[in-house]
Amino acid sequence: MRRRDDILVGATVLAALVAIVGGALWLSESQLGKGGEVYVARFRTVGGLGVGDPVVLRGVRVGRVRAIRLAPRNWVEAELQIYEGVSLPPKPAIIAASASLFGEWQAGIINLEQPVDDPIVQRDLEEAMREGGDRWPGATLPDIGQLTAQAGRIATDIASVSSRIQTVFDSQAVLELQEAIRDFGRVSERLTQFTQQQTEILGEVGVNLRQGSDVLADAARSLSNSLARVDSATNQGQLLTILNHTQAAAENMARAAADFRALLSAARENQASLLRIIEGADSVATRLRDRSGTLGLLVGDSMLYVETRLAVAELRRLLADIQANPRKYFKFSVF
Amino acid sequence: MYRTLSLKVGNWLAAAGRTGHFLTDTARSVRDVPTWAGLTVAQMRRIGVDSVPIALFIAIFTGIVLSLQASYTFTGAVPLYFVGTLVGKTVMLELGPVLTGLALAGRVGANIAAELGTMRVTEQIDALETLAYDPLSYLVVPRVLAAAIMFPIVVSLAILVGIISGWLTAISLLDLSTVEFVRGLKLFYQFKDIWFGLVKSFSFGVVIALIGCFKGLSVRGGAAGVGRATTEAVVASAMAILVLDAFWAVVLL
Repeated sequence: MRRRDDILVGATVLAALVAIVGGALWLSESQLGKGGEVYVARFRTVGGLGVGDPVVLRGVRVGRVRAIRLAPRNWVEAELQIYEGVSLPPKPAIIAASASLFGEWQAGIINLEQPVDDPIVQRDLEEAMREGGDRWPGATLPDIGQLTAQAGRIATDIASVSSRIQTVFDSQAVLELQEAIRDFGRVSERLTQFTQQQTEILGEVGVNLRQGSDVLADAARSLSNSLARVDSATNQGQLLTILNHTQAAAENMARAAADFRALLSAARENQASLLRIIEGADSVATRLRDRSGTLGLLVGDSMLYVETRLAVAELRRLLADIQANPRKYFKFSVF
Repeated sequence: MYRTLSLKVGNWLAAAGRTGHFLTDTARSVRDVPTWAGLTVAQMRRIGVDSVPIALFIAIFTGIVLSLQASYTFTGAVPLYFVGTLVGKTVMLELGPVLTGLALAGRVGANIAAELGTMRVTEQIDALETLAYDPLSYLVVPRVLAAAIMFPIVVSLAILVGIISGWLTAISLLDLSTVEFVRGLKLFYQFKDIWFGLVKSFSFGVVIALIGCFKGLSVRGGAAGVGRATTEAVVASAMAILVLDAFWAVVLL
């Protein structure tokens, strides 16, 4: 009986010890047999980070927080046990942050060679680095409680502003605001009409511009063609010929100009003769007006004119007869 | 009225004095190792091993109820894997030690009080004293030591079984996987959760055994006195467990 008691009690105690020790190790995720390196990170505050919290690298658990203690110069140091075989970044730093909305915290390893988005975190890391030593720099993100508190303060401020706006906007202000809105609507309507008109004008201008640009394009094409022809002409020596012809024409024109100048000079010299001719013509015209002289009499006396016309007619008939019957009037004899 | 009040105060002070004497004598009797050493293992079996079935039975249903009620409570914004957290924390910190302690208060405390009370009324304890045996060394110290050692053991097994039953309930009756339950179980685990429950159960064991022994040795008046002492032992043990539970919560948490 006594031996049986011993066996039963021993078995029960052993089972309980196994349950307690094994369960505690399993729940705490202790890495028995896995030593690993211990590193120390320096923070201004660790927030909600506690002993036993996980250390993660790119989301993968690579260790645990082994201890947290206060350090000189208002620093807090956290000992991080990193499992063996973990390849750490070349310049590691620690970000303590909430792992979920329910109060879990973790220490995340980041690479300082990559830029940090949050300026406050960047500032904290730089401050920790300036302290020197072999400690990893650390920074802490605000937990969900701080964020919700901040959101609560913002909500309170918004409520306060809303209350003040409600106080400012009495019934008169609302009426004025309504009137202002109606005025604004009218202005908007006019602005819309004006804009529509300007749009139509601009459309027409655009059409004209397009036509003008088409003309210019045609001119450019013509010029391009001309240039091409000039180019081809240049290539075949025709331009040189044209230029030579042009030079000859210019010389001819120069000579013509010289002749014209000589002609003008001669004209100036004959100006007196011309004046005399003009005076004579004037005298003739005067005598014609006065019905004196042969022409005057001829012009003024219709009878004379008629007889003259008859005489001329007789003369034409005589000439015609002479042409028709020359032997009647002329006789040529050689022998 | 003054007389009645003074009489009651006098009785309370006398009971406190007897308790103090009892505790002092028991502590002194611990030095009598040859007497209690050979008896302790037998008491460990009676108090501890024989109590394991009832403790595990209670733990099984505690885990089931906790898991179901947690899932009912967490419907909504709280993720369901917190069922594991609630089951683990509650079983380790509170329900494992306290429910097991209350169950053992009824079983062990009543057993001790009835046994020693019967020995008292049948003058077996007087016979021990006549034979120069210290009844405290022979009867009290083995029981108190056995309870102090075995209560944490039984509670440990109860915690383990309670968590396992909660896990089985979660994966069979709830839309929860083993991975999620374990994630919740490990979420806020601290080693303190375990030793806090063990410290409490240790104190429960000591107090239940002491109350049972004290009430048993204080029996007067035959079988009726034994019954009364047994009832008083159970009630006092249950109250002491709840008071100690609050005390340790204030001191250790």
